[in-house]
Amino acid sequence: MDPVRKEEFDSGACGSLAPKTKACPRPKPGEAAGGCSFDGAQITLLPIMDAAHLVHGPIACAGNSWESRGALSSGPSLSQYGFATDLNDSDIIFGGEKKLKESIDYIAGRFAPPAIFVYSTCVTALIGEDMDAVCKEAADRLGIPVVPVNSPGFVGSKNLGNRLAGDALLQYVIGTGEPEPEMQPGVNLIGEYNIAGEMWDIEKLMNSAGIAVTSRITGDARYKEIAWAHRARVNMVVCSRALLGLAREMESRYGIPYFEGSFYGAKETTYSLRQMAYLMNDRDMERRVDRLTEREENRLAQDLRPYRKLLKGKKAVLYTGGVKSWSVISALKELGVQVVGVGTNKSTEDDVRRIADRVGDDTEYIPEGGASRILKTVKERKADIMIAGGRNMYVAMKEQIPFIDINQERHKAYAGYEGLLRLAKELTYSLANPVWKLAASPAPWDREAPPYDR
Amino acid sequence: MTVNRRKKPAAVNPVKIGQSLGAVLALQGCYRAMPLIHGSQGCSAFPKALLTRHFREPIAVQTSALQEMDVIFDANRNLEEALNIVLSKHRPDIIGIVGTELTDVAGVDYQTMLKTYKRERNMRGGLAFAVVLPDFRGSLESGFSSAVEAMIDELIQQVGHRGSRNVNTRQITLLPGSFLTPADVMELKEMISSFGFDVISVPDISTSLSGHLLTGFSPLTRGGVPLDSMLQSLQSGLTIAVGGSMERPARRLHNALGTPYKVFSGAMGLKATDELLHFLHQISGEPVPLRYCWQRENLLDGMLDAHFQFAGISAVAALEPDHLYSVSGWLEELGVEQKALIASYETPLVAGMEREVWIGDLDDAEVLGKGADLWISSSHGIAGAGRIEAAFMPAGFPVWSELGAYMSVSVGYRGAMEWSNKAGNLLMRREAERRESSVRHR
Ligand code: SF4
Repeated sequence: MDPVRKEEFDSGACGSLAPKTKACPRPKPGEAAGGCSFDGAQITLLPIMDAAHLVHGPIACAGNSWESRGALSSGPSLSQYGFATDLNDSDIIFGGEKKLKESIDYIAGRFAPPAIFVYSTCVTALIGEDMDAVCKEAADRLGIPVVPVNSPGFVGSKNLGNRLAGDALLQYVIGTGEPEPEMQPGVNLIGEYNIAGEMWDIEKLMNSAGIAVTSRITGDARYKEIAWAHRARVNMVVCSRALLGLAREMESRYGIPYFEGSFYGAKETTYSLRQMAYLMNDRDMERRVDRLTEREENRLAQDLRPYRKLLKGKKAVLYTGGVKSWSVISALKELGVQVVGVGTNKSTEDDVRRIADRVGDDTEYIPEGGASRILKTVKERKADIMIAGGRNMYVAMKEQIPFIDINQERHKAYAGYEGLLRLAKELTYSLANPVWKLAASPAPWDREAPPYDR
Repeated sequence: MTVNRRKKPAAVNPVKIGQSLGAVLALQGCYRAMPLIHGSQGCSAFPKALLTRHFREPIAVQTSALQEMDVIFDANRNLEEALNIVLSKHRPDIIGIVGTELTDVAGVDYQTMLKTYKRERNMRGGLAFAVVLPDFRGSLESGFSSAVEAMIDELIQQVGHRGSRNVNTRQITLLPGSFLTPADVMELKEMISSFGFDVISVPDISTSLSGHLLTGFSPLTRGGVPLDSMLQSLQSGLTIAVGGSMERPARRLHNALGTPYKVFSGAMGLKATDELLHFLHQISGEPVPLRYCWQRENLLDGMLDAHFQFAGISAVAALEPDHLYSVSGWLEELGVEQKALIASYETPLVAGMEREVWIGDLDDAEVLGKGADLWISSSHGIAGAGRIEAAFMPAGFPVWSELGAYMSVSVGYRGAMEWSNKAGNLLMRREAERRESSVRHR
């Protein structure tokens, strides 16, 4: 596979920076699923581990959501604190700006974070709080960045929230700092959140190939590294289109080329590493990458052998909420697992095209409809396993369908060569578990003919 | 005695949970029900995810999916649309519309809209009610009890015109508070029915969130108390409410139907269980079943065995108000020093406690509980407990750090025993770890 510079991607995404090709669909009352924009913004920024994240609004937005993600930290843990202005009746009536200001001061004084992100929520947006002004005033007074994130839940979907968070980074963070002089120029990883520590596996690979990471946006990140992200030589948008706008804008502002790639599956991983070296324009690096990827792929092929045998011909239904569908399909294909159904509910047209490139003609697309549609596909296509997000996990358990969690809350890292091996193991353990047989057979007394039935 | 607050502008590591989540929980205890949150998507997605994670069960909930412009122009159009879809596609027996802070602040009047909707569509047979639960008041507990109250109001309305009541003195309505696990509700039902009563629990999460294996997917709730049982519960001769927050719904039944009621603030620990069983013995005239006499002895023996472990131990607990009250009573019986008690919000029950109670968050637990040996809170407390080096005991909501939390029993003699053993074991492990590390570093 030759590295290519794909400029022709259209972005069928809804967000302020990306050009609009189609409007964001309105969520259907009574049939909607998925999080709000505030949720999306938080997902993107919470992995900035040393910053404080303050939610401005009544308690539920923060109270129901803090600590619910599996983004791991290698050090600071302030971002795992739940901060909320926790507005009450009278704050709503008289305005919450004073409380917001005091909260910012309090957090700055007590925790001395390098920066504070402040999130608006539906109610504070509705009553017209001037969050930007409060943040600006506080930043000037305290001498630390206080970044307003204007992504109240009711502006739209989670995806939109990701993008709005990207906007906030562009507007307030990126370009405001400089790296240490001895740092090598390198790559920004955009849209990789270190779920279950995946980022660490990726970084290890990049290090072995001598590729430096300039900024992690935002998995296991520190605030200062995002501030110097404009000094990178290449941007990689990691299998998610949500932050494509960010990469585009960085290209036009700072001339940093970008590409979209993934680390799910050996082929995609190899492709991504080669693409990085190619765009860095470094012959030596390219050779190192070739050696590394060849070695890793060979070793992986060995390690995978016993699992491949068991997984070959198994059928899976994949429902990831859209963004990762195509990359996970590649990984599964490499393991010999056939994807017989795939969710496209949040995918853009381009995602769908990539999915189509990777699956056979008889794969069913599941555009929407949630759990019941997924289950229907599993049954009709006689799938062996369901791969989806935690929300659908217990729906699968009720139907006694083997399941693997692929979303934000999971605890297993599937990125890179090691990750593919881990995925193979997880699939095998899940499929081979004795519980399926036990659950499928009735109790002894139900097996006999009922005694009174003559 | 006193209710205090630490002075700080922001909540740090909140204990408080949005009220609407409590309502969603209450509706999970009703058969073929659909909670419909009138607000933006996130307000239903977060509770759904959190409840799923805690109970490890699918959770039924829908949203009117308001977006900015809907809020400003016509939020009721969304609600109507949502109702149309839910009714025509899933035909629920019960719909609970939960108004959020968003509709509240925007001043949306959907109660009138719901009335018109019901009249125009001639909705009969099912149960549809609305309850306003903005998140800037109360917490999970108040959301739960308010939803039950609204549900009961609607039940009373429905049968109101059917004339006089046929009181069944052998039937008891149980109103279990939000802090009780499915296994707790089951235990309470068993205790009451062992005295010869029929029990109808409203709601009843013991049959919906306890891990059934009903197949055949439905977006509605599976298990829980069916509507006809709920209607039948209006004939009960007595209401038993467990948890101070359930007094209001019990009073509703009393005011409308004259049903006498008895509120047990908690049912955890020796004394609380004694009280409950004694009461049941008195009203039924039946002897206390042998198994409870056994359990009582088992518990006392266990407490004697464990008292060495608990001597000189101190604890900090951060929970919803009713739960805190119960846990405090249990700690008292074990002779554990209560370093700090933190409730998510103020209720008459905690305000009337003989101990000092703080209204606050897990950060307050960390500061006020410094030096405590045992930390009792939701899974959110793990980090804080670690920082003050206390043994961490998950309880309340949400618990995701432990399997089977939703099936653990806290009520009755059995519950007190389970909790005492669990806490004692945690303390023993902590002691062993400390001993080990002190040996190593000598
Ligand atoms: S939809 Fe609005 S109010 Fe609801 S959780 Fe999201 S930001 Fe908060």
